[in-house]
Amino acid sequence: MEVFMDDAAALQISYSFSAASHADVHSLASFFGDDQDEFYCDHLRNVESSSAISASSYSSPPPAEYQWPAVAGDENLRLIHLLMAAAEALTGGQKGRELARVILVRLGELVVPAASAASGATSIERLVAHFIGALQGIVDGAGRGQIHRGFPSDEALQAFQLAQDMLPDDKLGHFTANQSILEAAAGERRIHVVDYDIKEGLQWSSLMQAMVSRKDGAPPPSLRITAVSGGRSAGKGRWSSETIQVTGQRLMEFAESIGQPLTFGYCRLDRRQMFRPATIRVVKGEALFFNSALLQPEFHQRTTASVRSFLTGAAELGARLVTVIKEERASGSAVIVGEENEGFVRRFTEQLQRYSAKMEALEAEFPKQGRAREMVERLILAPSVRVALSTAYCEREEPEESLEWMPAAGFRPVELSFFNLCQARLLLGLFNQGYRVEEDAPNKITLSWKSRRLLSASVWSPPAVAPANS
Amino acid sequence: MFPSKKPSMNSHERPICVQGDSGLVLTTDPKPRLRWTVELHDRFVDAVTQLGGPDKATPKTIMRVMGVKGLTLYHLKSHLQKFRLGKQPHKEFSDHTKDDISFQLYIYIYILHLKSCSRNVQITEALRMQMEVQRRLHEQLEVQKHLQMRIEAQGKYMQSILEKACQTLAGENAAAASSGCYKPGLMMEVAGAMKDIGSPVTFPSLQDLHLFNNDHLDHLHDGFFPCTSETLCLGPKKRPNPYSSPNGKSPMIWADEELPEEASKSPVNGGLDIESMTREVYEAKPMLSGDSAARRAQVPAPEMMSPMIRGGVLNQARNLSYG
Repeated sequence: MEVFMDDAAALQISYSFSAASHADVHSLASFFGDDQDEFYCDHLRNVESSSAISASSYSSPPPAEYQWPAVAGDENLRLIHLLMAAAEALTGGQKGRELARVILVRLGELVVPAASAASGATSIERLVAHFIGALQGIVDGAGRGQIHRGFPSDEALQAFQLAQDMLPDDKLGHFTANQSILEAAAGERRIHVVDYDIKEGLQWSSLMQAMVSRKDGAPPPSLRITAVSGGRSAGKGRWSSETIQVTGQRLMEFAESIGQPLTFGYCRLDRRQMFRPATIRVVKGEALFFNSALLQPEFHQRTTASVRSFLTGAAELGARLVTVIKEERASGSAVIVGEENEGFVRRFTEQLQRYSAKMEALEAEFPKQGRAREMVERLILAPSVRVALSTAYCEREEPEESLEWMPAAGFRPVELSFFNLCQARLLLGLFNQGYRVEEDAPNKITLSWKSRRLLSASVWSPPAVAPANS
Repeated sequence: MFPSKKPSMNSHERPICVQGDSGLVLTTDPKPRLRWTVELHDRFVDAVTQLGGPDKATPKTIMRVMGVKGLTLYHLKSHLQKFRLGKQPHKEFSDHTKDDISFQLYIYIYILHLKSCSRNVQITEALRMQMEVQRRLHEQLEVQKHLQMRIEAQGKYMQSILEKACQTLAGENAAAASSGCYKPGLMMEVAGAMKDIGSPVTFPSLQDLHLFNNDHLDHLHDGFFPCTSETLCLGPKKRPNPYSSPNGKSPMIWADEELPEEASKSPVNGGLDIESMTREVYEAKPMLSGDSAARRAQVPAPEMMSPMIRGGVLNQARNLSYG
């Protein structure tokens, strides 16, 4: 599709450069032909004016320490603005989609393709390239169908390994949750852990190691791990029972290699992805723990209701502890784009900020390892963004982000021990100074990069349930 | 203070050490290991300082600066990570986390209080306070050690994922076997990337953990084996084969590299050894935390304590110091 847009006049919905706005609108609109002129004019004007409203917030300096990645002149800023425009256009129905398509093509021309990132595209260019990809996917209607199928490629696995070393996120969440479990399970001989999203099972490798070397004597003779697998509609992705069984196999081999007896099993969510306590086999005398690591969601899993059903199920089954690791929204996110402007744009901006924070963190820590960073960005972070945006676009409802409902439902916070907090700080000490861990609440720590919150880990004890008649 | 739990290993069972011509000390047991002697460690620390500190230095640059023949990136990586991990308590105390500020305040107020007490009470109180400090330091030490092991466990598990993937892919795509899962081009690059990273959390080594001298470590030494991420080095019960891919292939990423063995520090004999070894390694290093942490804890009023107590405490604290 041939698109001609004069650079200078190109969607200068540029808040701080407010050049001729109407001229731009018209020059762009004229491209689309007379009959559509009016719509596009209106739309662009809307976008423009709403951005004018948000001009102050958008162009104002971001929260204290957090900076957009180094902006080299106008080009980078324009890229971001175009991206934002595309995102906003997407909320405009069918015609909006067309507009977005046009913008994306233009963006594609301006940005060095991500594939040649090794050739030295700047971080902004890479960031934008990945977001272009994500938006393109939405425009092409691939949204719902974009489920990761099959086993990850070996390149993806290597990127995964790199990500584990380069980003503290997973480790912090895992270790914090594990430590609370360990403490609550001290002295227990039978332990059962139910995991909402087991992914590769990485979290349990260190839990098992810790059990093997725990102070109060021998490792527990009975350790069971049950992974939750998606309902039948989960397809072949990471949540399918096939994939989970492979993970289980791996975990059992690992367990054997360190001398920890392990039994692995899985249970299924129902068709609506809801957790049903009856699918868990409860053994008398077992200490039960429910873990939900909600990072890097796969598409269409993890609806709010699904997670809630899992956590309330924990209460029904009499679990000792519930551990929750989840992404955190930036605190006081400064970008508020017009009231009616849907969740999508807000979530888009959120993802933009989150992704750029992570890129910045990676760069700060590993300035010279461009290739490794590029792999992680492309194979770990970008897919996560794609999923988040697809979900945001397809599902009007916003997932419930906070856990505020929990205390109301009777969950009591469980204080994090000195050991746990100390561990978190020590772990972060191995990474760049820009990372920070804060104790938001006695039962919760939050990881931030500079002032941008990334994820949190919290520990709860479920409300006691009147014993069932059995 | 650190009773030895390993009566089976004492000095005359230690493997014989030979000094290579590069100054590296290698042992002659069946698996030659690198020993981080005092001199070597000194050179390491100098190199790191030159490069701007442990956060700026990478194994590659350290290797270049040190210029010691026979020293590989693997040795350096684990040593560096140990070094970084161990440096932190120093930061811990200087961080303004509310815990530590209030704790320091607590110490300070205690000292003030002491002034008004009788001498006997003073001594008791001072001792109690010192124990408090030590307890803190010790707890932190514990955390550090466990954290290390947990990181290693994940690394080892991670490796098994990669190995499995290799096998699975090879199994599934017989037709595409030519590409297979071993793509030298990509992997060399990734391997290169990973080497460069000098990652904070890979390839930890237990070799310097003689400083910790703890039960856990003692029984880790039991099954201890070179502890790089691709080896199975955990668990007291097994003596695993480090390169245990069933089909005999070495682990993917490092296939081309020689896989060195990390030094296994000779286990500790007793508290005295710890202290002297610690002192040897860390005494003259101003930037290392052990002494300064202890000193800082005493800073509020060193002159208030009797020389006897102070001397005792310093020794105790040094026992705990882990750099």
